[in-house]
Amino acid sequence: MLRFVVRRLLVAALTLVVISLVTFGLFFAVPSSPAKVMCGKNCTAEDIAQVERRLGIDQPLPRQYADFVGGVFAGRTYGEGDFRQDCPAPCLGYSFRNNQPVTEIVAQRAPVTFSIVLGGAVLWLGLGISLGMVSALRRGTAFDRAAIGVTLAGASMQVYFFGLILLYLLVYSTGLLPFPSYTPLTESPARWAAGLLLPWMTLGFLNSALYARLSRAQMLETLSEDFIRTARAKGLPARQVHTRHALRAAITPIVTIAGLDIGTSLGGTFITETIFGLQGLGKATVEAVQFLNLPVVMATVLLAAVFIVVANIVVDVLYAVIDPRVRLG
Amino acid sequence: MRARTRTLTGVLAAAALAAAGCNPTPDDSGGDDQKTKTQSGSISYEAADNQGPAKPVDGASRGGTLTVMQPADFEHLDPARNYVNVQQVAGGMLYRPLNGYKEDGTGKLLLVGDLATNPGKDVDGDCKVWEFTLRDGVRYEDGTPVSSKDVAHGIARSFAANLNEGPHYIQQWLYPGGAYNATYKGPYDGGKPVPDGVTTPDDRTIRFTFPQPHCDMPYAAALPTSAPVPAAKDTRANYDLRPFSSGPYRVKSYQRDVSLELERNPNWDPATDPLRNAYPDTVRMTFGLEQAQIAERLVADGPADQAALSWSDVPPSVLPRTTGAGVADRVVRGPTQYNWVLSINTQRVTDLSVRRALNYAVDKDALLKVLGGQAAGTPATTLMSPTTAGFVPYDVFNAPVTGDKAKTAELLAGKRPKLVLAHSSLELRTQQAEALRKNLTDMGFDIVMKPIDNSSYYDEVGRKDNPYDLYLTGWGSDWPTGSTVIPPVYDGREIVAEGNQNLSYLNEASVGAEIDRVRALPAAEQDAGWMALDRMIMEKYAPVVPCYYDATYELHGSKVGNAFLSDAFGIISLNGIYVKK
Amino acid sequence: MVELPTPRRGEDPYLRVTDLRVRFDTEDGVVKAVDGVSFAVERGRTLGIVGESGSGKSVTSLAILGLHNAKRTTISGEISVGGRQLVGLREEEIRRLRGRDMAMIFQDPLSALHPYYSVGRQIAEAYRVHHPRAGKREARSRAVDMLGRVGIPQPAKRFDQFPHEFSGGMRQRAMIAMALVNDPDLLIADEPTTALDVTVQAQILDLLADLQAEFRSAIILITHDLGVVSQVADDVLVMYAGRAVEHGSVERVLRAPQHPYTWGLLSSVPSLHGDADADLVPIPGNPPSLINLPSGCAFHPRCRWAGVNGDRSRTEIPELGPAGAPGHLVACHLPVAARERIYRDEVAQVGVAR
Repeated sequence: MLRFVVRRLLVAALTLVVISLVTFGLFFAVPSSPAKVMCGKNCTAEDIAQVERRLGIDQPLPRQYADFVGGVFAGRTYGEGDFRQDCPAPCLGYSFRNNQPVTEIVAQRAPVTFSIVLGGAVLWLGLGISLGMVSALRRGTAFDRAAIGVTLAGASMQVYFFGLILLYLLVYSTGLLPFPSYTPLTESPARWAAGLLLPWMTLGFLNSALYARLSRAQMLETLSEDFIRTARAKGLPARQVHTRHALRAAITPIVTIAGLDIGTSLGGTFITETIFGLQGLGKATVEAVQFLNLPVVMATVLLAAVFIVVANIVVDVLYAVIDPRVRLG
Repeated sequence: MRARTRTLTGVLAAAALAAAGCNPTPDDSGGDDQKTKTQSGSISYEAADNQGPAKPVDGASRGGTLTVMQPADFEHLDPARNYVNVQQVAGGMLYRPLNGYKEDGTGKLLLVGDLATNPGKDVDGDCKVWEFTLRDGVRYEDGTPVSSKDVAHGIARSFAANLNEGPHYIQQWLYPGGAYNATYKGPYDGGKPVPDGVTTPDDRTIRFTFPQPHCDMPYAAALPTSAPVPAAKDTRANYDLRPFSSGPYRVKSYQRDVSLELERNPNWDPATDPLRNAYPDTVRMTFGLEQAQIAERLVADGPADQAALSWSDVPPSVLPRTTGAGVADRVVRGPTQYNWVLSINTQRVTDLSVRRALNYAVDKDALLKVLGGQAAGTPATTLMSPTTAGFVPYDVFNAPVTGDKAKTAELLAGKRPKLVLAHSSLELRTQQAEALRKNLTDMGFDIVMKPIDNSSYYDEVGRKDNPYDLYLTGWGSDWPTGSTVIPPVYDGREIVAEGNQNLSYLNEASVGAEIDRVRALPAAEQDAGWMALDRMIMEKYAPVVPCYYDATYELHGSKVGNAFLSDAFGIISLNGIYVKK
Repeated sequence: MVELPTPRRGEDPYLRVTDLRVRFDTEDGVVKAVDGVSFAVERGRTLGIVGESGSGKSVTSLAILGLHNAKRTTISGEISVGGRQLVGLREEEIRRLRGRDMAMIFQDPLSALHPYYSVGRQIAEAYRVHHPRAGKREARSRAVDMLGRVGIPQPAKRFDQFPHEFSGGMRQRAMIAMALVNDPDLLIADEPTTALDVTVQAQILDLLADLQAEFRSAIILITHDLGVVSQVADDVLVMYAGRAVEHGSVERVLRAPQHPYTWGLLSSVPSLHGDADADLVPIPGNPPSLINLPSGCAFHPRCRWAGVNGDRSRTEIPELGPAGAPGHLVACHLPVAARERIYRDEVAQVGVAR
């Protein structure tokens, strides 16, 4: 297990290096100069050159990359003289637009996205899996058919559509819920939850549709397995057969997909964040792209990659924990 | 400077009332200008107007938190870099320029002293030397008194290359000829602490000496660059995020792109401030919501949003929901300083009768329809906006808003001119251009459309040798006098190879002569002079087709008191606003 | 837990199935999976049920344990286990009998064991469900004990291993340990050796025989393999298309089979003692659809002698009746004499076990 994790981490690090190189290349290959964007109008060539020096983008690309990597591990200093800005390790860059190290920006934005995704995931997994399980156990009943219908609707609906409907129904026209906002969990758990209820409901409903269908199919497949018949033949009560034996086996592929889904979402849920006006990583990324705020773009893209890579490792480890047949090595 | 109001639109929003604030407004019967408050603005040296504290607002209560919801964060709050109206109103809560606009929502607009005791003394009566005396008792957030040296430092740093986003009138006047910062580059990197022509004989006096007369100085001194910045607190580029407060509020927290929270500056003395009542205890600005979401929330008026307002216009999709009971009375609307005209490239369209024919032909109603309603704004007939001081409406052509086919045909006399219509590639601008093409084709012109990427639109049409005949352009004045409209846009002597503001490239000696004559008039007589010149240009040269006066259409929550449109800024003023108990 | 009475009157068969009918409703029609089968098994004796797939042998055993899908299945007739009538009993009550009074061993132990739980845990679970007062430790020692008794070396160590870590034979031993952990009086083994190597097969069959001697359980051994039957069964029930076609002691049925279908089964088994060169004769044709059974004797389309009696085989369903020796029953329209002649002249020399 340990060897597996270490090896996977090494591969992950390599992946991140490649992704960072590609991002670096891509964003520094764009035609519009970030220095020009930052400098604004009335900017002389001299001014632009100065800004480029401050950003460190006057250097050749390999040197810039080396500086970036160096910054991650040892911190670095941007600019010169009057424009000196320190960026302590782990320095993911310094945003001159925000006048902040990117790490700080990420630290402000990431909790928002995390809260949205984790709360939503609890809802969509809980709702989706239980709905799918019950559907499978009551296959062919009115409940099952209704659940299939609802989940089909959910699976084919888009976040922005459903989110806006919820906003109209629960906020704009009835005022049952406040417009979403983010309060740190540490500040007030109640307000944290109240402010995120709508995005959770949106993500919960839409994604649960997918998970309900998936878990229903998995459950039906598992229920026809021989070991379920064995469990019943032992005289186990139905509930134990369904939970301890069927669910345990049916959940494995769901864990995989959920892990990757969550990992991907942690990188930013731009549409959800936009609809509900929440300032998470997704919006930070898109805003950074709009303003050609390259350090932030780099950091958020890399971070998203980190989440996906880590999610992959977690899923593999979980898989091994769930299924003893899987050997990590 | 063209882009004074800039509406950054989000990705999902019906993009595009972008670039230079074009704001939709619902049905306003064309021609009837009862809503358009004619500028009665003037510069006041009356002690009563210039003295603090600001007159209490009837029924106002102190306290509470006012929320301002904005689609995007301010680009700059540093007074040296502050050139957008929303930033200027927000900045006005934090720092005090030498002068300011006193408004009460009735259309009365007075330029009075803000940090200064009055709008400035024209020392020699020739508009070349201006002296301002600072009020006694104005203090920064740390309790130290504001000194005229800090004002001088603020002016000096606005020359710095990396703080170049602000207006540069005073800067240019101090160093005329060439770029404003060609000679003096600010106090950093060993530069002189103050530019030539700026002196501070004592801590309460600052004196500007210009090589040429500038009777507009009181207006230029109302721009944020004249706000005080103590050298000791100057954090240069970082000042943007944390201006040192000389106003009623100070920055409590600022999370870029998320929120800006202002709390009271305990050292602000209302007795020193003739403009600001500063009723709310806290002002919270939040960023990142879509325009439509903001409008929906304000329409819904939920408990959390009742003490909120937005400077973002209600988008067309939400307009229909703003007319009902309980909402209509929370709409703040009115004209802005922006006027949109169809510029005719007079270098290419030299035939005056064709230009006059265009003035009869253009369907102004169709252009407004694209922006969301029968009249998103008001059809225009003049060069200056109705918010300009001394504005007198006139209409040279008296054509119906949808155009006059018979008159057009008469003027074209059987010709069918072929014209190139350039337009920004933004969705709404493209729609407007398409409407224009249809309209003009029908009226007897052959129109070729040329889309230009929005980010380079003004660069392209600003090239003297541009290959286009017609293009829609917007212009807003930096202060409500004709001197920031007629000279920059219609003086042929200002035409250069690139980066022109005179986009019709009208180059008439008679106009230039008249500009010089009006400029030399005493400030009080200039307004009428600009208005007469406005009319003369349209009558004699018809270099543009005035299309529509842009309008503001904003919403506020039910617990916001005394929310009115600032004529100076074209958005809801914060100076006398309060949160209802 | 309700204690069900467990009358043990020596003479009565422990399991008695009378006129059992099992039907499934499907979209294509009603499947008559079992159509009027009766048999009985006494404690300490083994009944082999043989037949091709689809003959209803597995369905019969699942019906006894109540493991069929209750919603889609109709069961009639009587199933008496230890004196209790199971047909019509509530699921909860049958559940309490399952695994305690009657247990089952399945064909493929790899798929029949849960892949995610250790073998020992699965056995202990079977014990604890019927001994709710037993603690973890007790269940574990019981399971280890059982593992040892079915011949698994180092049972305490093997307890914590997973099914995939066992060999095929060891897995089936573990299955048997699981089935026997509650000392059931009835054990149903559904093709317990089919998935195993031949050498392992023999070990497992020996084990079953030993355990039966030890526990005195009644055993039903379901198989398609007459060789297995001859090795361990006392009685044989031959099923075809949901019906019993021949029933009797192993000696009678295998030595003097009366039904052409049984002949066919015997002819398709290689004999260890007979002529090695003799050709195996497969039964021609395929088992019939259970939705649309052939008229008359369901076997008639595949029976070479169906025409011997005129149209009877095609029109009249043969009843199970005496086949000569006591206790030997057969469902065939052929007259006794004809059966004996045909078997002697046309079938026997092809060579059958024993």
